[in-house]
Amino acid sequence: MIFGQEKTYRILFLGRMFLGLVFLYSGFIKLMEPVENFQGGMAAYEIIPYVLIPLLARVIPWIEFIFGAFLILGYLPRMSALVLAGMSWSFVLLIATTRIVTGALPANCGCFGEGSLLHLKPYQVLIMDVGNTLIGIRLALLKIHPFSLAAFLKTKS
Amino acid sequence: MKINLRSILTGVLLVLFLDGAIFFIKRNKPAPSSPLPSVAGLPTALKVRGPANAPVKLVEFSDFECPSCRAVQTDLQDFFKSYPGKIQLTFKHYPLTSHKWSIYAHQAAECMNAQGKFWPYQDKVYEKQLEWAPSTVPPVEILARYAREVGADMDRFGKCMADVAVTREIYAEKEEGNKRQVNATPTFFLGEERFVGPKEMQERGENAIRKVLGLPPKPPAPKKPEPLVPAPLKGALK
Repeated sequence: MIFGQEKTYRILFLGRMFLGLVFLYSGFIKLMEPVENFQGGMAAYEIIPYVLIPLLARVIPWIEFIFGAFLILGYLPRMSALVLAGMSWSFVLLIATTRIVTGALPANCGCFGEGSLLHLKPYQVLIMDVGNTLIGIRLALLKIHPFSLAAFLKTKS
Repeated sequence: MKINLRSILTGVLLVLFLDGAIFFIKRNKPAPSSPLPSVAGLPTALKVRGPANAPVKLVEFSDFECPSCRAVQTDLQDFFKSYPGKIQLTFKHYPLTSHKWSIYAHQAAECMNAQGKFWPYQDKVYEKQLEWAPSTVPPVEILARYAREVGADMDRFGKCMADVAVTREIYAEKEEGNKRQVNATPTFFLGEERFVGPKEMQERGENAIRKVLGLPPKPPAPKKPEPLVPAPLKGALK
């Protein structure tokens, strides 16, 4: 990697850590809490079909936790970044659609579980998720991720 | 990244490690550092439901704004019906910092406790959770309305709502929960055994109750479709 790219990657590396940590923390907190807390958080959005809520409440925290960890470690970094960008974008769509359809938003976004110290309002999460989507897409477009398991495994193979 | 055997193996090991870490942390939540006096020794003026001589003494750390705490109320009612006179439940305040209106509801409930009307009020607060919790302003008026409906002396209630000493008592109970390593609501204690959330209460809690009562474990119920939302929520969303 040439010097200029390395310099750019320092910023992207911070983005990778940020995106990974946000999702790792979010997933971890939800996994530590009773699943009903997250179910209640999702039900507050009103537009999510009730039939999907129990399944989503069990699956989403694992996806967040696993892919958050993958991105931090740099295992399948492009795919992980893409998955997390997709999740961020789906949250953006969820917040926007809820606002349009119901005319209101829940007081708490429910993104970091009930007992987390980090508790954001939906519009704050909207801004963060737009940023996360952009970071995720940029990371997914990058072919080589230095300081990653992927790079390590490549040099070893 | 080129997908080869080494990469696949690394991925499998990573997933196993991450899953294992979660299960290990959940399973090995630290036990309370200093056991607190048993419920039997506490004065009866506390928020206690059920007879003092009941063999099963449950302690609940709960937050009025938490959806799981509302969902578990149905299970608790079922336990009281299934094992009449055998269960004593003690309520402990555990308002989560992230729930901004929770402390108002806890203060109101404690004020109703001072008037001997804690249980009807807590039932009301849970039943109407979806009305007051999404409020954009402190739901003091809504909580006062519930108090009126339950038959409170509103003068006393009003003074009590402004009483900082009551707030201190609530946080003292929360601190008691912190000392017992409570970090999610609802958390139940049956002796030193802990159950977190409605699912654990249904799956392990009831059998622990039956064990104390000398009954055989309940056979696992035939798999029925999962409720889409907790029962009280269905009504509230109509």
